[in-house]
Amino acid sequence: MSLQVDLALERGGFRLAVNATLPERGVTILFGASGAGKSSLLKAIAGLQPCRGLIRFGERVWQDEHHNLPAHRRPVGLMLQRPTLFPHLDVAGNLRFAARRSGASDGRWREVVALTELQPLMERGVAGLSGGEAQRVALARALLTEPDLLMLDEPLSALDAERRQALMAVIARVGERLPVLYVTHQLDEVMTLGDHLWWLDRGGLREQGPLAERLAGLHGPLAAGGEAAVVLRTRHHGYDQRHHLLELTLGDAVLRLPATGARGDAPRLKVAARDVSLALTAVRDSSVLNILPATVDSLRDLGHGQCLVRLRCADQWLLARLSTLSRDRLGLRPGMPVYAQIKAAALV
Amino acid sequence: MNVSPADWQALWVSVRLALISTAVLLVVCTPLAWWLARRQRPGQALLESVLALPLVLPPTVLGFYLLLWLGPGGPGGLLAGLWGDHSLAFTFTGLVIGSVIYSLPFVLQPLKNAFAAIDHDTLDMAATLGAAPWDRFRNVVIPLARPGYLSAAVLGFAHTLGEFGVVLMIGGSLAGETRVASVALYEHVEVGDYARAHHLALVLVVLSVAMLWALFRWQRRPGALP
Repeated sequence: MSLQVDLALERGGFRLAVNATLPERGVTILFGASGAGKSSLLKAIAGLQPCRGLIRFGERVWQDEHHNLPAHRRPVGLMLQRPTLFPHLDVAGNLRFAARRSGASDGRWREVVALTELQPLMERGVAGLSGGEAQRVALARALLTEPDLLMLDEPLSALDAERRQALMAVIARVGERLPVLYVTHQLDEVMTLGDHLWWLDRGGLREQGPLAERLAGLHGPLAAGGEAAVVLRTRHHGYDQRHHLLELTLGDAVLRLPATGARGDAPRLKVAARDVSLALTAVRDSSVLNILPATVDSLRDLGHGQCLVRLRCADQWLLARLSTLSRDRLGLRPGMPVYAQIKAAALV
Repeated sequence: MNVSPADWQALWVSVRLALISTAVLLVVCTPLAWWLARRQRPGQALLESVLALPLVLPPTVLGFYLLLWLGPGGPGGLLAGLWGDHSLAFTFTGLVIGSVIYSLPFVLQPLKNAFAAIDHDTLDMAATLGAAPWDRFRNVVIPLARPGYLSAAVLGFAHTLGEFGVVLMIGGSLAGETRVASVALYEHVEVGDYARAHHLALVLVVLSVAMLWALFRWQRRPGALP
């Protein structure tokens, strides 16, 4: 079911007004600077922060001018930025608090405990847990509420790289069944998990839509931060044993990159704008492996002699960051065919 | 040891009074402390000052007003009229009412502090995990406030046990009804019977030490909350 919000709240001079629809499935990244209102928005949706307006989940009205469904009756799994565990209960007790009230089955319990690798910690008090351990408990607890909507506020910030990868896969799987609203500043989490994007800026939703499309905007959230990058959806093609190169297809073209393997058969590729350069002809005497035909869509002057070029490439978007001198020498303008040289790309 | 049956009776009245008053106070102070700890409202400072008054008021002053209120013509007297009496002064019920008022700050304050120390996010979390308000209170607030409840109970009990001035004004020293241990002790001293006074005083000292010892032991118990 999809979540529809049209709400407004004011708190100590801060105003938040959001009108948006969360897709039925998939992970929606809630992106925004500190103080943009991300946590307030999650709390308002969960019914923990009084607000005005409409919140509707599927056919069910959670809030309008006549109704206000209390927080404990909204089928929301929420994980706050601080794990906020119950200090009077041990790890198992914290999980049981959620499972008893949601009626989660024993099978579901075992599954969640296994996914979050909490078995060795079950008897421990929560006071002695590390930040990462506490986050795993909080995530498990949120999953055990058997929610219809999962909202996570920087859930993996204190975890080591390996566990982060594993839990991202868990969250992505949850996203296949129900909507997930996910707050993060981490670029790899945005790229790996995100299907959609809500970009919150100074108390308002500046952009919403499919993540790949939004990131490729010339005024997207990453472009604003000087870290413009896009995510490409590729298909697995093969592996070049001799040169140790993974082969992925993007439209008709084959991309090759030094990697041992990719998860799934539709790997995502992160390409930073600064790793893309442009040429007017398909150069054959270059060390760059991945050269793709593309069409210039639009350009944006970033100042300081830099510009950002948006390119259409095999039905997807690419961004290239160039000097304005290069732009002028090549005479780049919208509609022009070019060749994009991708110097580096990373599997996410 | 030479503790007369009359003195044991006075001790029993004291303990019964302290137990009942403490029980009433825990029930009365729970919602009051919760309300005071969770909200800031206009007039709250004034209300808290009034509730803290027994801390600073001489017990005889409090006892004097209680005597007027509990006596015939006062609200206590009208209340007693419901069951055909005309006064609550010099009755056990009157003592309980007096003790509840007199010991209220000693129970209210620890509870209020314990409630105020509970992180609001913890309660919010309990709500999103599906706990209704009463469920949250029963399974999150009370366990987290357990040390506060223990302090409140011990302080309320001990303070009521040691009360003298108020009881002297509204009690009247009726054996088995309103003669509490502290008053019995005072009467022994008044007639120069120091031996009996010694024994009764010793019993009260031992009782108090035992209670505090139990409290501290319980608080240090492994698994007990700080």
